[in-house]
Amino acid sequence: MITNPIGVMALSKREIIRFLSVASQTVFPPLVISLLFMYIFGVAIGERIDFSVAGLSYLGFIVPGLMAMHLISASYENTSSSLFIARWHNHIQEVLLSPLSYFEMVLGLLAGGVARGVVVCAGVYLVSLPLAPAAILHPFLLLYFILTVSVIFACAGMMGALWAEDFGMLGVWNIYVIMPLILLGGVFHPLSLLPKIVRHISQFNPMYYFINGIRYSMTGVSDASIAVCALTALLMAVGFFFFTVYLFRIGYKLRT
Amino acid sequence: MRDSERAVSIQNLTKYYGKFQALDNISFEIRRGDFFAFLGPNGAGKTTTINVITGLSNFQQGCVKVFGYNTTSEYIQTRRLVGLCAQEFNFDPFLTIHQLLVYQAGYFGILPQEASRRTDELLDRFQLIDKRNVKHRALSSGMKKRLLICRALIHDPEILILDEPTAGCDLELKFLIWDYLTQLNNEGKTIFLTTHYMEEAERLCKTIGIINHGRIVRIGNKQDVLKDKSLEAVFLEVTGLE
Repeated sequence: MITNPIGVMALSKREIIRFLSVASQTVFPPLVISLLFMYIFGVAIGERIDFSVAGLSYLGFIVPGLMAMHLISASYENTSSSLFIARWHNHIQEVLLSPLSYFEMVLGLLAGGVARGVVVCAGVYLVSLPLAPAAILHPFLLLYFILTVSVIFACAGMMGALWAEDFGMLGVWNIYVIMPLILLGGVFHPLSLLPKIVRHISQFNPMYYFINGIRYSMTGVSDASIAVCALTALLMAVGFFFFTVYLFRIGYKLRT
Repeated sequence: MRDSERAVSIQNLTKYYGKFQALDNISFEIRRGDFFAFLGPNGAGKTTTINVITGLSNFQQGCVKVFGYNTTSEYIQTRRLVGLCAQEFNFDPFLTIHQLLVYQAGYFGILPQEASRRTDELLDRFQLIDKRNVKHRALSSGMKKRLLICRALIHDPEILILDEPTAGCDLELKFLIWDYLTQLNNEGKTIFLTTHYMEEAERLCKTIGIINHGRIVRIGNKQDVLKDKSLEAVFLEVTGLE
Protein backbone atom coordinates (compact mmCIF):
# COMPACT_ATOMS: atom_id res chain seq x y z
CA MET A 1 0.00 0.00 0.00
CA ILE A 2 3.01 2.29 0.35
CA THR A 3 4.51 2.99 -3.06
CA ASN A 4 6.31 6.21 -2.16
CA PRO A 5 8.16 5.54 1.12
CA ILE A 6 10.51 8.51 0.66
CA GLY A 7 7.49 10.78 0.28
CA VAL A 8 5.87 9.40 3.42
CA MET A 9 9.16 9.82 5.31
CA ALA A 10 9.50 13.42 4.11
CA LEU A 11 5.98 14.31 5.21
CA SER A 12 6.39 12.49 8.54
CA LYS A 13 9.68 14.26 9.18
CA ARG A 14 8.16 17.64 8.44
CA GLU A 15 5.29 16.96 10.85
CA ILE A 16 7.58 15.72 13.63
CA ILE A 17 10.09 18.54 13.28
CA ARG A 18 7.23 21.03 13.32
CA PHE A 19 6.18 20.16 16.86
CA LEU A 20 9.70 19.52 18.15
CA SER A 21 10.81 22.96 16.97
CA VAL A 22 8.20 24.54 19.26
CA ALA A 23 8.57 22.08 22.15
CA SER A 24 8.00 24.88 24.67
CA GLN A 25 4.41 25.05 23.37
CA THR A 26 3.79 21.45 22.37
CA VAL A 27 5.72 19.18 24.73
CA PHE A 28 6.57 20.93 28.01
CA PRO A 29 3.19 22.48 29.02
CA PRO A 30 1.48 19.07 29.54
CA LEU A 31 4.44 17.93 31.61
CA VAL A 32 4.24 20.98 33.88
CA ILE A 33 0.47 20.62 34.24
CA SER A 34 0.80 16.90 35.01
CA LEU A 35 3.40 17.59 37.65
CA LEU A 36 1.08 20.12 39.30
CA PHE A 37 -1.87 17.70 39.15
CA MET A 38 0.28 14.97 40.68
CA TYR A 39 1.47 17.24 43.46
CA ILE A 40 -1.88 18.84 44.29
CA PHE A 41 -4.21 15.88 43.81
CA GLY A 42 -1.80 13.02 44.35
CA VAL A 43 0.43 14.28 47.16
CA ALA A 44 -1.31 17.16 48.92
CA ILE A 45 -4.89 15.84 48.76
CA GLY A 46 -4.44 12.21 47.75
CA GLU A 47 -2.59 11.18 50.90
CA ARG A 48 -5.67 12.10 52.93
CA ILE A 49 -8.01 9.95 50.77
CA ASP A 50 -8.77 6.34 51.61
CA PHE A 51 -8.38 4.82 48.17
CA SER A 52 -8.03 1.16 49.08
CA VAL A 53 -11.10 0.43 46.89
CA ALA A 54 -8.95 0.83 43.77
CA GLY A 55 -6.04 -1.26 45.03
CA LEU A 56 -3.59 1.59 44.41
CA SER A 57 -2.42 4.81 46.05
CA TYR A 58 -4.32 7.79 44.68
CA LEU A 59 -1.14 9.09 43.06
CA GLY A 60 -0.48 5.69 41.50
CA PHE A 61 -4.06 5.75 40.19
CA ILE A 62 -3.96 9.16 38.53
CA VAL A 63 -0.53 8.86 36.84
CA PRO A 64 -1.80 6.47 34.08
CA GLY A 65 -4.91 8.64 33.78
CA LEU A 66 -2.81 11.73 33.21
CA MET A 67 -0.67 9.86 30.69
CA ALA A 68 -3.83 8.87 28.79
CA MET A 69 -5.28 12.37 29.00
CA HIS A 70 -2.20 14.06 27.55
CA LEU A 71 -1.65 11.30 24.98
CA ILE A 72 -5.13 11.96 23.64
CA SER A 73 -4.97 15.75 23.67
CA ALA A 74 -1.42 15.95 22.25
CA SER A 75 -2.24 13.60 19.36
CA TYR A 76 -5.44 15.48 18.58
CA GLU A 77 -3.96 18.97 18.84
CA ASN A 78 -0.97 18.16 16.65
CA THR A 79 -2.81 16.97 13.58
CA SER A 80 -5.74 19.35 13.98
CA SER A 81 -3.53 22.44 14.15
CA SER A 82 -1.08 21.29 11.49
CA LEU A 83 -3.70 20.36 8.92
CA PHE A 84 -5.94 23.33 9.68
CA ILE A 85 -3.05 25.79 9.30
CA ALA A 86 -2.07 24.04 6.05
CA ARG A 87 -5.63 24.54 4.79
CA TRP A 88 -5.73 28.11 6.09
CA HIS A 89 -2.51 29.11 4.30
CA ASN A 90 -3.37 26.75 1.43
CA HIS A 91 0.06 25.12 1.57
CA ILE A 92 -1.81 21.82 1.83
CA GLN A 93 -1.51 22.06 -1.97
CA GLU A 94 2.16 21.07 -1.59
CA VAL A 95 0.93 17.68 -0.40
CA LEU A 96 -2.14 17.46 -2.63
CA LEU A 97 -0.07 18.05 -5.78
CA SER A 98 2.43 15.35 -4.87
CA PRO A 99 2.34 11.72 -6.03
CA LEU A 100 1.48 10.50 -2.53
CA SER A 101 -1.60 8.30 -2.41
CA TYR A 102 -4.34 9.44 -0.05
CA PHE A 103 -3.39 6.57 2.26
CA GLU A 104 0.20 7.84 2.30
CA MET A 105 -0.86 11.45 2.89
CA VAL A 106 -2.83 10.43 5.97
CA LEU A 107 0.01 8.22 7.16
CA GLY A 108 2.52 11.06 6.85
CA LEU A 109 0.32 13.58 8.65
CA LEU A 110 -0.54 10.99 11.28
CA ALA A 111 3.13 10.49 12.15
CA GLY A 112 3.36 13.93 13.77
CA GLY A 113 0.31 13.32 15.96
CA VAL A 114 1.45 9.88 17.04
CA ALA A 115 5.01 11.04 17.72
CA ARG A 116 3.84 14.01 19.79
CA GLY A 117 1.43 11.80 21.73
CA VAL A 118 4.18 9.27 22.47
CA VAL A 119 6.70 11.95 23.50
CA VAL A 120 4.23 13.69 25.82
CA CYS A 121 2.96 10.41 27.30
CA ALA A 122 6.51 9.22 28.00
CA GLY A 123 7.33 12.64 29.45
CA VAL A 124 4.39 12.50 31.86
CA TYR A 125 5.59 9.09 33.04
CA LEU A 126 9.13 10.37 33.53
CA VAL A 127 8.08 13.43 35.55
CA SER A 128 5.91 11.17 37.73
CA LEU A 129 8.88 9.01 38.78
CA PRO A 130 10.23 11.27 41.54
CA LEU A 131 6.75 11.44 43.14
CA ALA A 132 5.47 7.93 42.41
CA PRO A 133 8.27 5.60 41.31
CA ALA A 134 6.61 2.64 39.64
CA ALA A 135 7.64 -0.03 37.14
CA ILE A 136 5.50 -0.64 34.05
CA LEU A 137 3.82 -4.01 34.53
CA HIS A 138 2.99 -4.78 30.87
CA PRO A 139 5.24 -2.66 28.62
CA PHE A 140 4.15 -4.21 25.30
CA LEU A 141 0.50 -3.82 26.18
CA LEU A 142 1.22 -0.20 27.11
CA LEU A 143 2.88 0.36 23.75
CA TYR A 144 -0.15 -1.17 22.03
CA PHE A 145 -2.54 1.18 23.82
CA ILE A 146 -0.34 4.23 23.31
CA LEU A 147 -0.12 3.58 19.57
CA THR A 148 -3.77 2.72 18.97
CA VAL A 149 -5.08 5.59 21.09
CA SER A 150 -2.74 8.11 19.48
CA VAL A 151 -3.80 6.91 16.00
CA ILE A 152 -7.46 7.37 16.94
CA PHE A 153 -6.98 10.93 18.11
CA ALA A 154 -4.47 11.95 15.46
CA CYS A 155 -7.12 10.90 12.91
CA ALA A 156 -9.82 12.68 14.90
CA GLY A 157 -7.63 15.79 14.78
CA MET A 158 -7.47 15.57 10.99
CA MET A 159 -11.24 15.16 10.79
CA GLY A 160 -11.65 18.20 13.04
CA ALA A 161 -9.22 20.20 10.91
CA LEU A 162 -11.12 19.34 7.73
CA TRP A 163 -14.48 20.13 9.28
CA ALA A 164 -13.46 23.47 10.85
CA GLU A 165 -13.96 26.68 8.90
CA ASP A 166 -12.16 28.94 11.39
CA PHE A 167 -10.02 28.78 14.52
CA GLY A 168 -13.12 28.91 16.76
CA MET A 169 -14.55 25.78 15.19
CA LEU A 170 -11.18 24.07 15.43
CA GLY A 171 -11.28 24.09 19.24
CA VAL A 172 -14.91 23.01 19.58
CA TRP A 173 -14.36 19.26 19.54
CA ASN A 174 -11.44 19.37 21.92
CA ILE A 175 -13.05 21.71 24.45
CA TYR A 176 -16.65 20.51 24.41
CA VAL A 177 -16.37 16.83 23.54
CA ILE A 178 -12.93 15.28 23.98
CA MET A 179 -11.84 16.88 27.28
CA PRO A 180 -15.18 16.30 29.10
CA LEU A 181 -15.22 12.68 27.94
CA ILE A 182 -11.63 12.20 29.12
CA LEU A 183 -12.34 13.68 32.55
CA LEU A 184 -15.53 11.62 32.89
CA GLY A 185 -13.68 8.54 31.64
CA GLY A 186 -11.84 7.93 34.88
CA VAL A 187 -8.64 9.97 34.92
CA PHE A 188 -9.17 10.96 38.55
CA HIS A 189 -11.75 8.45 39.80
CA PRO A 190 -12.61 4.74 39.53
CA LEU A 191 -16.04 3.91 38.17
CA SER A 192 -16.94 2.14 41.39
CA LEU A 193 -17.11 5.50 43.21
CA LEU A 194 -19.87 6.75 40.93
CA PRO A 195 -23.64 6.27 41.32
CA LYS A 196 -24.96 3.20 39.51
CA ILE A 197 -26.71 5.09 36.72
CA VAL A 198 -23.61 7.19 35.92
CA ARG A 199 -21.54 4.01 35.96
CA HIS A 200 -23.74 2.50 33.25
CA ILE A 201 -23.60 5.66 31.13
CA SER A 202 -19.81 5.80 31.47
CA GLN A 203 -19.51 2.42 29.79
CA PHE A 204 -20.54 4.09 26.53
CA ASN A 205 -17.65 6.51 26.86
CA PRO A 206 -14.72 5.20 24.77
CA MET A 207 -12.22 7.18 26.87
CA TYR A 208 -13.10 4.91 29.78
CA TYR A 209 -11.64 1.94 27.87
CA PHE A 210 -8.54 3.81 26.72
CA ILE A 211 -7.74 5.11 30.20
CA ASN A 212 -8.34 1.71 31.76
CA GLY A 213 -6.24 0.02 29.10
CA ILE A 214 -3.30 2.27 29.90
CA ARG A 215 -3.88 1.97 33.65
CA TYR A 216 -3.95 -1.82 33.44
CA SER A 217 -0.76 -1.88 31.33
CA MET A 218 0.97 0.24 33.97
CA THR A 219 -0.42 -1.18 37.20
CA GLY A 220 -2.42 -4.35 36.51
CA VAL A 221 -5.54 -2.60 37.87
CA SER A 222 -8.56 -1.86 35.70
CA ASP A 223 -12.30 -1.25 36.05
CA ALA A 224 -13.00 -2.76 32.63
CA SER A 225 -12.18 -6.00 30.86
CA ILE A 226 -8.77 -5.54 29.25
CA ALA A 227 -9.87 -7.51 26.17
CA VAL A 228 -12.76 -5.10 25.64
CA CYS A 229 -10.38 -2.15 26.09
CA ALA A 230 -7.90 -3.57 23.55
CA LEU A 231 -10.60 -4.41 21.01
CA THR A 232 -12.28 -1.01 21.34
CA ALA A 233 -8.97 0.74 20.74
CA LEU A 234 -8.08 -1.42 17.74
CA LEU A 235 -11.47 -1.14 16.03
CA MET A 236 -11.62 2.61 16.53
CA ALA A 237 -8.04 3.11 15.31
CA VAL A 238 -8.69 1.15 12.10
CA GLY A 239 -12.10 2.79 11.58
CA PHE A 240 -10.87 6.34 12.17
CA PHE A 241 -7.81 5.83 9.98
CA PHE A 242 -9.73 4.57 6.97
CA PHE A 243 -12.45 7.16 7.40
CA THR A 244 -9.78 9.88 7.29
CA VAL A 245 -8.30 8.31 4.13
CA TYR A 246 -11.82 8.34 2.66
CA LEU A 247 -12.18 12.08 3.44
CA PHE A 248 -8.89 12.74 1.62
CA ARG A 249 -9.99 10.55 -1.28
CA ILE A 250 -13.23 12.48 -1.82
CA GLY A 251 -11.35 15.74 -1.19
CA TYR A 252 -13.64 16.83 1.65
CA LYS A 253 -12.88 20.57 2.01
CA LEU A 254 -9.53 19.92 0.33
CA ARG A 255 -10.58 20.09 -3.30
CA THR A 256 -13.01 22.61 -4.74
CA MET B 1 4.41 7.61 -20.36
CA ARG B 2 1.41 5.86 -21.85
CA ASP B 3 0.82 8.50 -24.53
CA SER B 4 4.03 10.28 -25.31
CA GLU B 5 2.45 12.66 -27.84
CA ARG B 6 -0.49 14.17 -26.01
CA ALA B 7 0.66 16.02 -22.87
CA VAL B 8 -2.88 16.99 -21.89
CA SER B 9 -6.12 15.62 -23.23
CA ILE B 10 -9.43 17.05 -22.02
CA GLN B 11 -12.71 15.64 -23.27
CA ASN B 12 -16.18 17.00 -22.54
CA LEU B 13 -15.16 18.50 -19.23
CA THR B 14 -17.94 20.06 -17.19
CA LYS B 15 -17.47 21.58 -13.79
CA TYR B 16 -19.96 23.21 -11.45
CA TYR B 17 -19.41 25.21 -8.27
CA GLY B 18 -22.78 24.64 -6.66
CA LYS B 19 -25.20 25.81 -9.34
CA PHE B 20 -22.63 27.92 -11.17
CA GLN B 21 -21.24 26.22 -14.26
CA ALA B 22 -17.54 27.07 -14.43
CA LEU B 23 -16.66 24.79 -17.36
CA ASP B 24 -19.15 23.87 -20.04
CA ASN B 25 -18.27 20.69 -21.89
CA ILE B 26 -14.79 21.77 -22.96
CA SER B 27 -12.45 19.59 -25.02
CA PHE B 28 -8.92 20.23 -26.20
CA GLU B 29 -5.48 18.68 -26.43
CA ILE B 30 -1.97 19.95 -25.87
CA ARG B 31 0.85 18.24 -27.77
CA ARG B 32 4.05 17.25 -26.06
CA GLY B 33 6.65 20.02 -26.28
CA ASP B 34 4.05 22.67 -26.95
CA PHE B 35 4.07 26.14 -25.43
CA PHE B 36 0.37 26.67 -24.86
CA ALA B 37 -1.20 29.97 -23.82
CA PHE B 38 -4.59 29.69 -22.16
CA LEU B 39 -6.28 33.06 -22.22
CA GLY B 40 -9.56 34.44 -21.01
CA PRO B 41 -11.14 37.21 -18.96
CA ASN B 42 -11.26 36.95 -15.17
CA GLY B 43 -13.64 34.18 -14.10
CA ALA B 44 -13.64 32.57 -17.55
CA GLY B 45 -12.47 29.18 -16.21
CA LYS B 46 -8.68 29.24 -16.67
CA THR B 47 -7.72 28.46 -13.08
CA THR B 48 -10.55 25.95 -12.77
CA THR B 49 -9.19 24.11 -15.80
CA ILE B 50 -5.72 24.10 -14.26
CA ASN B 51 -7.10 22.85 -10.94
CA VAL B 52 -8.88 20.02 -12.69
CA ILE B 53 -5.72 18.99 -14.57
CA THR B 54 -3.64 19.05 -11.39
CA GLY B 55 -6.28 17.31 -9.27
CA LEU B 56 -7.05 20.27 -7.02
CA SER B 57 -10.66 20.35 -8.21
CA ASN B 58 -13.26 17.66 -8.63
CA PHE B 59 -15.45 17.76 -11.71
CA GLN B 60 -18.84 16.40 -12.63
CA GLN B 61 -18.36 15.15 -16.17
CA GLY B 62 -15.66 14.43 -18.71
CA CYS B 63 -12.24 12.88 -18.87
CA VAL B 64 -8.87 14.50 -18.24
CA LYS B 65 -5.61 12.75 -19.09
CA VAL B 66 -1.97 13.72 -18.73
CA PHE B 67 0.32 11.78 -21.06
CA GLY B 68 -2.40 9.15 -21.31
CA TYR B 69 -2.95 8.76 -17.57
CA ASN B 70 -6.36 9.56 -16.12
CA THR B 71 -6.04 12.37 -13.55
CA THR B 72 -8.69 10.82 -11.31
CA SER B 73 -8.01 7.10 -11.34
CA GLU B 74 -4.25 7.36 -12.03
CA TYR B 75 -3.52 10.51 -10.08
CA ILE B 76 -0.21 9.26 -8.71
CA GLN B 77 1.24 8.95 -12.23
CA THR B 78 -0.20 12.28 -13.44
CA ARG B 79 1.08 14.23 -10.44
CA ARG B 80 4.62 13.01 -11.06
CA LEU B 81 4.42 14.52 -14.55
CA VAL B 82 2.95 17.90 -13.66
CA GLY B 83 4.49 20.93 -11.95
CA LEU B 84 2.17 23.75 -10.91
CA CYS B 85 3.16 27.34 -10.37
CA ALA B 86 0.01 28.71 -8.74
CA GLN B 87 -1.11 32.33 -8.53
CA GLU B 88 -0.98 32.68 -4.77
CA PHE B 89 2.01 32.50 -2.43
CA ASN B 90 0.92 29.38 -0.60
CA PHE B 91 4.09 28.39 1.24
CA ASP B 92 4.47 26.68 4.59
CA PRO B 93 5.27 29.64 6.87
CA PHE B 94 7.31 27.55 9.31
CA LEU B 95 10.00 26.48 6.83
CA THR B 96 12.98 28.18 5.27
CA ILE B 97 12.85 28.27 1.49
CA HIS B 98 15.56 25.62 1.28
CA GLN B 99 13.65 23.28 3.63
CA LEU B 100 10.47 24.00 1.73
CA LEU B 101 11.93 22.81 -1.56
CA VAL B 102 13.74 19.83 -0.04
CA TYR B 103 10.51 18.59 1.57
CA GLN B 104 8.62 19.19 -1.67
CA ALA B 105 11.18 17.09 -3.53
CA GLY B 106 10.84 14.45 -0.82
CA TYR B 107 7.11 14.12 -1.46
CA PHE B 108 8.04 13.24 -5.03
CA GLY B 109 10.27 10.43 -3.82
CA ILE B 110 13.58 12.26 -4.23
CA LEU B 111 16.20 11.36 -1.62
CA PRO B 112 17.36 14.20 0.69
CA GLN B 113 20.86 14.53 -0.77
CA GLU B 114 19.61 14.79 -4.35
CA ALA B 115 16.76 17.04 -3.20
CA SER B 116 19.24 19.41 -1.58
CA ARG B 117 21.39 19.47 -4.73
CA ARG B 118 18.41 20.25 -6.97
CA THR B 119 17.20 22.88 -4.52
CA ASP B 120 20.52 24.72 -4.55
CA GLU B 121 20.65 24.48 -8.34
CA LEU B 122 17.19 26.02 -8.75
CA LEU B 123 17.74 28.66 -6.08
CA ASP B 124 20.95 29.61 -7.86
CA ARG B 125 19.23 29.68 -11.26
CA PHE B 126 16.51 31.98 -9.93
CA GLN B 127 18.90 34.16 -7.93
CA LEU B 128 17.58 33.12 -4.54
CA ILE B 129 20.58 31.20 -3.27
CA ASP B 130 21.60 33.86 -0.75
CA LYS B 131 18.09 33.64 0.74
CA ARG B 132 18.14 29.88 1.19
CA ASN B 133 17.91 30.05 4.99
CA VAL B 134 15.15 32.63 5.31
CA LYS B 135 11.43 32.03 5.47
CA HIS B 136 9.25 33.09 2.57
CA ARG B 137 7.79 36.02 4.50
CA ALA B 138 11.15 37.75 4.30
CA LEU B 139 11.09 37.66 0.49
CA SER B 140 9.81 40.35 -1.84
CA SER B 141 6.85 39.44 -4.06
CA GLY B 142 9.17 39.03 -7.06
CA MET B 143 11.29 36.58 -5.08
CA LYS B 144 8.18 34.69 -4.01
CA LYS B 145 7.18 34.39 -7.67
CA ARG B 146 10.56 32.86 -8.42
CA LEU B 147 10.18 30.54 -5.44
CA LEU B 148 6.82 29.36 -6.80
CA ILE B 149 8.53 28.44 -10.07
CA CYS B 150 11.36 26.66 -8.22
CA ARG B 151 8.80 24.63 -6.29
CA ALA B 152 6.98 23.67 -9.48
CA LEU B 153 10.25 22.54 -11.08
CA ILE B 154 11.81 20.69 -8.14
CA HIS B 155 10.73 17.24 -9.38
CA ASP B 156 11.65 17.98 -13.02
CA PRO B 157 8.10 17.66 -14.38
CA GLU B 158 7.30 16.92 -18.01
CA ILE B 159 4.66 19.62 -18.14
CA LEU B 160 4.87 22.92 -16.33
CA ILE B 161 1.62 24.75 -15.65
CA LEU B 162 1.92 28.42 -14.80
CA ASP B 163 -1.04 30.47 -13.65
CA GLU B 164 -0.21 34.11 -14.42
CA PRO B 165 3.46 33.76 -13.49
CA THR B 166 4.48 37.29 -14.42
CA ALA B 167 1.53 39.15 -12.87
CA GLY B 168 2.96 42.01 -10.83
CA CYS B 169 6.56 41.35 -11.87
CA ASP B 170 8.98 44.07 -12.90
CA LEU B 171 10.55 43.96 -16.36
CA GLU B 172 13.79 42.35 -15.23
CA LEU B 173 11.98 39.47 -13.55
CA LYS B 174 9.58 39.15 -16.46
CA PHE B 175 12.52 38.71 -18.86
CA LEU B 176 14.20 36.24 -16.50
CA ILE B 177 11.04 34.13 -16.39
CA TRP B 178 10.46 34.38 -20.15
CA ASP B 179 14.05 33.32 -20.87
CA TYR B 180 13.83 30.38 -18.53
CA LEU B 181 10.48 29.21 -19.87
CA THR B 182 11.74 29.44 -23.44
CA GLN B 183 14.83 27.46 -22.47
CA LEU B 184 12.71 24.81 -20.77
CA ASN B 185 10.45 24.56 -23.79
CA ASN B 186 13.45 24.25 -26.10
CA GLU B 187 14.64 21.36 -23.91
CA GLY B 188 11.35 19.60 -24.66
CA LYS B 189 9.19 20.50 -21.67
CA THR B 190 5.55 21.23 -22.32
CA ILE B 191 4.45 24.60 -20.97
CA PHE B 192 0.85 25.55 -20.14
CA LEU B 193 0.61 29.24 -19.40
CA THR B 194 -2.27 31.50 -18.41
CA THR B 195 -1.75 35.20 -18.63
CA HIS B 196 -3.54 38.49 -19.09
CA TYR B 197 -0.57 39.94 -20.98
CA MET B 198 -1.23 39.48 -24.68
CA GLU B 199 2.33 40.36 -25.68
CA GLU B 200 3.59 37.60 -23.37
CA ALA B 201 1.40 34.98 -25.01
CA GLU B 202 2.17 36.28 -28.49
CA ARG B 203 5.90 36.32 -27.86
CA LEU B 204 6.30 32.95 -26.11
CA CYS B 205 3.60 30.57 -27.24
CA LYS B 206 3.14 28.22 -30.17
CA THR B 207 -0.51 27.39 -29.52
CA ILE B 208 -3.26 29.58 -28.12
CA GLY B 209 -6.58 28.72 -26.53
CA ILE B 210 -9.16 31.28 -25.44
CA ILE B 211 -11.88 30.48 -22.93
CA ASN B 212 -14.90 32.60 -22.11
CA HIS B 213 -17.79 31.81 -19.75
CA GLY B 214 -16.46 28.25 -19.37
CA ARG B 215 -16.38 27.55 -23.12
CA ILE B 216 -13.45 27.30 -25.51
CA VAL B 217 -14.09 30.05 -28.04
CA ARG B 218 -10.89 29.80 -30.08
CA ILE B 219 -8.02 27.33 -30.17
CA GLY B 220 -5.23 26.52 -32.60
CA ASN B 221 -1.64 27.25 -33.45
CA LYS B 222 -0.61 30.87 -33.17
CA GLN B 223 -0.64 31.64 -36.90
CA ASP B 224 -4.12 30.15 -37.37
CA VAL B 225 -5.54 31.99 -34.39
CA LEU B 226 -3.99 35.34 -35.24
CA LYS B 227 -4.16 35.31 -39.04
CA ASP B 228 -3.29 38.93 -39.75
CA LYS B 229 -4.60 40.39 -36.53
CA SER B 230 -2.99 41.11 -33.21
CA LEU B 231 -3.75 38.72 -30.34
CA GLU B 232 -5.43 41.55 -28.46
CA ALA B 233 -7.82 42.14 -31.37
CA VAL B 234 -8.63 38.43 -31.62
CA PHE B 235 -9.11 38.20 -27.87
CA LEU B 236 -11.49 41.15 -27.76
CA GLU B 237 -13.39 39.80 -30.74
CA VAL B 238 -13.96 36.25 -29.46
CA THR B 239 -14.71 37.25 -25.89
CA GLY B 240 -17.16 39.93 -26.95
CA LEU B 241 -15.26 42.61 -25.03
CA GLU B 242 -14.80 44.76 -28.10
